[in-house]
Amino acid sequence: MKKVFSIILISVLTQGLIAKEVNVYTSRHYDSDDALYQEFTNETGIKVNIISGKGSALLERLKFEGTNSPADIFFTVDAGNLWKVQKEGLFQPIKSTKVLSKVPINFRGPNNEWTAVAKRSRVFFYNPKKVSADEIKNISYESLANDNWRDRIVIRSSNNMYNQSLVASLIAKNGEKETEAWARALVRNLARKPQGNDRAQIMAVANGEADLAVANSYYIGIMLSGNAGIDQLNAAKKVKMTFPNQKTSGAHVNISGAGILKNAPNPENANLFMEFLLSDKVQEIMVKKSYEYPIADVPLSSEMASLGVDFKEDNSSVKRFGELNPAAIKLMDRAGWK
Amino acid sequence: MFTWKLLPFAVAIIFIAPIIIVFSSLFGTYSDTWNHLIEFVLVDYVSTSIFLVIGVSIGVLTIGVFTAYAVTNYNFFGKKFFEWALILPLAIPPYILAYTFTGLFDANGDANVFVRLLFNLENNFVLFPSVRNITGAIIVFSFTLYPYVYLVTRSAFLNQSSSIKESGRLLGLGQVGVFSKISLPLARPAFIAGLMLVIMETLSDFGAVDHFAVQTFTTGIFRTWYGLYDLNTAMQLSSLLLMIIFLFYFLERFSREGVNYTNDNSTFKTSKEINLKGVKSGLVSFFCFLPIFIGFILPIIELIIWALDARVTLFNEKFIMSSFNTITLGILTGVLCAFLAFVINFSIRYTKNNFLGKLSSFLSIGYAIPGLILAVGITRFLVFADRNIFSDLDFVITGSLVGLVLAYIIKSYALANSSIESGYERISNSIDNSARLLGARGSILLGKVHFPLMKTSFLTAILLVTSEVVKELPATLILRPFNFDTLAVVTYTYAAEERMYQAAMPSLAIVLIGIVPLIFLSKMIRSSRLAET
Repeated sequence: MKKVFSIILISVLTQGLIAKEVNVYTSRHYDSDDALYQEFTNETGIKVNIISGKGSALLERLKFEGTNSPADIFFTVDAGNLWKVQKEGLFQPIKSTKVLSKVPINFRGPNNEWTAVAKRSRVFFYNPKKVSADEIKNISYESLANDNWRDRIVIRSSNNMYNQSLVASLIAKNGEKETEAWARALVRNLARKPQGNDRAQIMAVANGEADLAVANSYYIGIMLSGNAGIDQLNAAKKVKMTFPNQKTSGAHVNISGAGILKNAPNPENANLFMEFLLSDKVQEIMVKKSYEYPIADVPLSSEMASLGVDFKEDNSSVKRFGELNPAAIKLMDRAGWK
Repeated sequence: MFTWKLLPFAVAIIFIAPIIIVFSSLFGTYSDTWNHLIEFVLVDYVSTSIFLVIGVSIGVLTIGVFTAYAVTNYNFFGKKFFEWALILPLAIPPYILAYTFTGLFDANGDANVFVRLLFNLENNFVLFPSVRNITGAIIVFSFTLYPYVYLVTRSAFLNQSSSIKESGRLLGLGQVGVFSKISLPLARPAFIAGLMLVIMETLSDFGAVDHFAVQTFTTGIFRTWYGLYDLNTAMQLSSLLLMIIFLFYFLERFSREGVNYTNDNSTFKTSKEINLKGVKSGLVSFFCFLPIFIGFILPIIELIIWALDARVTLFNEKFIMSSFNTITLGILTGVLCAFLAFVINFSIRYTKNNFLGKLSSFLSIGYAIPGLILAVGITRFLVFADRNIFSDLDFVITGSLVGLVLAYIIKSYALANSSIESGYERISNSIDNSARLLGARGSILLGKVHFPLMKTSFLTAILLVTSEVVKELPATLILRPFNFDTLAVVTYTYAAEERMYQAAMPSLAIVLIGIVPLIFLSKMIRSSRLAET
């Protein structure tokens, strides 16, 4: 036990030595984020301390740490995660005009508890040799239920929150009953049991296992960059990307976002950090490194720009994803979406 | 005497508290999530888990018992090598084997591509069937976990006196008869104990089954927590899982009660190995090589392919720091855990207190708690301690390494305990009696008499725990302090994005660090053999 106590003592002592810091709980684990944090430290002299983990696990930690929590910022992907923290009343409103002036209102919490930092769209990747131009024209999430797609679609498991948010958005738009019928038909149309991540779905289309994949937009950027190895680069060249629902409601959009916690021990530093995330410079880095779409008005990365610059976004607020998430999961369970 | 009753009791309470917190959810309210679970998914979760456990049990028993019997009783090509190499797959965590399996056997995996190139086949030719299913999961668990059965069964076979087998021979039993009617039944407690560890690890695993999209009870627990936002129901599900495991545990104990499998030392005779020649020798070698190939060599090859494919700097600061953290934590926990198991087992023996024995068994089921749920229990416990015990002192233990070390000890106490327990079984009670007649009590008996006799078991316990800690992932993810990465965490963050080429280096490091304790273990296995001949 002596050893344990000396370790605690050391960790406690060293924590006290560095006064200028900001503590971030994040469920994003991209390498590019590490570079961002370093940049923040270089610019401001404030050290960024990180704990990364699954969104729900971090929320649980926040809840139980309560007023003792050392966390200043909660930074995550998926609006549902932000909603959960907001619902627990753990955020404080963001006041900085530098932040608020850049973010459209449908990408913020109801009382500015959190704000989007970057966007991603859930889009379709298809094999142009097997999918006709007719099929792609006017394609929508809803039309994936049609019989012409029997045994041709791949999508990942319903455990995945991107799918949960997509289904939540469809429930918000079309109602629960209609969405359940849609999910049943989609499951019938799958080429294989849901497996692997978004990238694996794109690979399946490139390899001819399926004709169309549903996946997040930024994956294709990473694959096209060549940083993910030659196999993925070659696969990415074989598929085409298209934005669904362009004639109707617009393509489903989800966010990466962050907020300042109510009990933040370093609120000023946290505020600086939020402003930093939405600065043009950082927005540009995020676009170039993680291939997300920016919130601020900065140019897209060349990889993403080549796949289409302007597309119609589903403007319904991302705020409802979290609230409808349990309903979405239960619906997918009933529809047999593994 | 009194301290020896109280001390382990007090320590054990601290370690049991987080488990109790998980269990306490059973006495709370039951939300209507239960209706949904029962109606649509629970049957699926349960039947998949049962199928998985049965499949893995058959797998590990077949591999573990066969190889243990072969290397103990026969002499064949490569036997000396197999004797120690058979435990190597223990260095590969199931999730890493799962990652490499999909990398090899997916339609465009390296194994399929290799076969196509080799035979000049069409691009859509796929030789290997998909592994992303329950069969794949059974294979992955069987080939990474069989060493638990191998280790204990082998030492049981080694301790079987040849005189008893000779008696069997005299009574007309053939080689098969000696194995099935004498050796196997005598080794039963050993391989059942090994099997228990395997079952617990299989049931609590999340990484491998998640990667294969197999919906087990444990993935159901996380889906309930993460997706349905219902942590309370998730904890209730975990408690049910724990109760089932507890039941198994006691059934196994109960079935052993009153049966003494130890040899009388004075009549012990080591067995003579039977020499195998030609085809037979080759076949046995092949069957011993297979598990090492699938569970160790193959994944290493794939990891190396990935590492070579990576075009990023591999030896960066993050990698070095996380290696350092992993090693330090592994050794620290190993020593603490072995020490704890030693003291508790000593107290049980010294005070002949039955309740302490039950307490020790209860601690062992910590091995089966899914890491994330255990982390929830620990977080609640630490916050409670901070508010009520440390509130006047100027530090908080929530979010410090204490939680992490506590999690590791609870998770791996079973490993340390099994090693210390079997060590104690080998020390005759008469030694205690003599020592006590000579005036050795309490700590003197523990330190001067038992410890020297238990050195090997103590070291084994440290090594087993260390190799387990190096692999642990889910609890580490949530409990670690700021800026504290372990190799498993780094591997996971890359693998979650299916950036395997970047996950390869930390994975290889996990394997390498995991091998070090295994090499020590193998050495001890070999020297125990030498000492007897």
